[in-house]
Amino acid sequence: MKNRLLYWFVVFFVAMIPENAPAIDGDELLRQVDANLQPDSYEMYRKLINIEPDGKKKEFVFYTVKKGKEKMVALFLSPASEKGRVSLRLGDNMWLYIPNVGRPIRITSLQSVVGGVFNNSDILRLDYHVEYDVNTITDKGETWALELKAKTRSVAYDRLKMTVDKKTVQPLDIECIASSGMLIKTLHYRDIKEFDDGIIRPARLMTDSPLHKGYRSVMIFAKMKKRKFDDEIFTLEFIPRVDELR
Amino acid sequence: MNCVDGPLQTGTESKKITPGNWCLFPLLLCCCILFSVPVSAGSTQDDFEFNPDVYEKKRLQWGGYVEGKLEHFSYNENSALYFLKFPDGDRTTLDRITGTLQLDGSYSLERTSFNWLLKGAANQDQRRYDDRADIFGAYLRLRPTDTLTIEAGKQSYKWGTGYAWNPAGFLNRRKDPNDPNEDLEGYTTVETSYIRSFGAAIESMAVSVSVLPVWQGVNEDFGRMETINLAAKLYLLVKNTDIDFIYFTGKSRSSRYGLDFAANLATNFAIHGEFAYVPHADRMVLEKDGSLTLQPSSTTSYLLGLRYLSEQNITTILEYYHNDAGYTEEEMNRYYELIDDAREEKRQTTATLLLEKALHAGQSGYGSFQTGRDYGYARVTWKEPFDIVYFTPGVTGIINLDDKSWTLTPELLYTGLSNWQLRLRYSWLNGTHDSEYGEKANENKIELRIRYFF
Repeated sequence: MKNRLLYWFVVFFVAMIPENAPAIDGDELLRQVDANLQPDSYEMYRKLINIEPDGKKKEFVFYTVKKGKEKMVALFLSPASEKGRVSLRLGDNMWLYIPNVGRPIRITSLQSVVGGVFNNSDILRLDYHVEYDVNTITDKGETWALELKAKTRSVAYDRLKMTVDKKTVQPLDIECIASSGMLIKTLHYRDIKEFDDGIIRPARLMTDSPLHKGYRSVMIFAKMKKRKFDDEIFTLEFIPRVDELR
Repeated sequence: MNCVDGPLQTGTESKKITPGNWCLFPLLLCCCILFSVPVSAGSTQDDFEFNPDVYEKKRLQWGGYVEGKLEHFSYNENSALYFLKFPDGDRTTLDRITGTLQLDGSYSLERTSFNWLLKGAANQDQRRYDDRADIFGAYLRLRPTDTLTIEAGKQSYKWGTGYAWNPAGFLNRRKDPNDPNEDLEGYTTVETSYIRSFGAAIESMAVSVSVLPVWQGVNEDFGRMETINLAAKLYLLVKNTDIDFIYFTGKSRSSRYGLDFAANLATNFAIHGEFAYVPHADRMVLEKDGSLTLQPSSTTSYLLGLRYLSEQNITTILEYYHNDAGYTEEEMNRYYELIDDAREEKRQTTATLLLEKALHAGQSGYGSFQTGRDYGYARVTWKEPFDIVYFTPGVTGIINLDDKSWTLTPELLYTGLSNWQLRLRYSWLNGTHDSEYGEKANENKIELRIRYFF
């Protein structure tokens, strides 16, 4: 309910801005985008689909929990070959646990545990304002164009070009750019819908990449709802027991 | 455990298969696999429906895999270990087909769960049939709070940060560096873990204490019998670094102290390491007169490694491992000379005294897996080269840095069919006479492994 009120407040606030108003605070806008995309602490289910140029698909299903600005866990539920794997993110640190195999190993944000276009930092994404500062903001009529710069070198993409819908204050498209200036991928948020607890956000995230021509990946969000978690959930020792949270 | 070694020959009678029949096995297996690939794996339907209710948790969960494996070993008939395995020298190759079924699962009730991991395998080579079934894990887990866990039963330990070796993994089974991700049988223990998260310089910590008894029928292969051992591990996440302090004490093995760490230095670069100190480590050493004596010593082992991901999606893992408990080049040469003498004795007489002595030395430490002191490990995998998705070629190399012998294992891995995993490997061993890999029983091995997960 609180989130819904915030949403309408932001919509109202944005609608009231006159065209010749002074420049708005980009970092504040980015925080609003983050607040609209995901609550502070929640659980959700996600399906990730990798699509090859010939239309063939490979699908993964995750159960995900997140707490605060930098704690996130994703448990693989499907396919059977990946079931039970867990990815944990604590700020810049990421680990992958493979059941029955070994202790969690450190993984890097640019690797991909699922193949396809999404990498680990896309799957275990933190709030944008945690990793990026807003360099410039441009009014494009119905949208804002934000240029974001990574706060540290440990962030997967050096720069982001984000298009934000003024009506909903939700991101529409995000270009992910390396420090060399190369476009790594483009993310497209689509299909805004209402989840539990009044959360209104896109239910789909699609991506394509000039580095993988013809390949696409899609992430579908479901059953997102607010939930409190202890900090101890987000530790290496707890990783093998994440399934017990469901 | 060494996947590049052939199986030990026993004197048991076995069913014989003619060479003609043997050739049909790979063909039949490939046909079975090809015709059983599910159509859904390559579905081209462009719908993005998602019903999360299908994935709601059930009390009883289970899964596993079935695996078919074809192996061809070429033996090095002049090597020392070949003679120990086949004193009569009556074998030049080994062709083996293995079928494996692994079942894992759990039954959960609130904050309590029972978990299991069962493995059964049967193999057939040109001469003999073998099968075995093992309980790799079966344990009860109680989680009274999110911070406290109590586990009792048989479970596998994975302490340490090394990929190929874990000198600080005092309760670990020894893994095969050529296949370090394979499941390993556990030990029966009672373990308590306590976790705390601080959000400060020490972001989180965990303390684990394990009690490992060694009695008749319980953990017999761990060490000295009729005693109870204790192991403890303190884990800290300090800034961006994982650190473990490990301690083991008991009468089954001497007391030992360990430390490991791992840290990400960049988005594509991570380092790790382990250190272990054993103040009183007894080693069986072969003397010049051929006798085996127990030498008390203290040993220090350590491992340093890195993992690097390039822009081309090539992952490189490098490790250096020093093991004080291993044998020096001179000590190993003495062992190989004893085997040479045993071979000569057998050629000239009917006596087997030296052969028995060599076999005894093998069982006392010389025959264990990677007996040297200094090793290098490199594994390079290239994920999805040339946009071939789900295809990962790779190569693994291990070198004994003392005698410069090595093994190289290129492989091709394909995971594009949902729940199927296909892997083709070739292992090549190379080294001079009296070197570790030059004296292994086989000089190469080719392996095709097909797994279906369910």
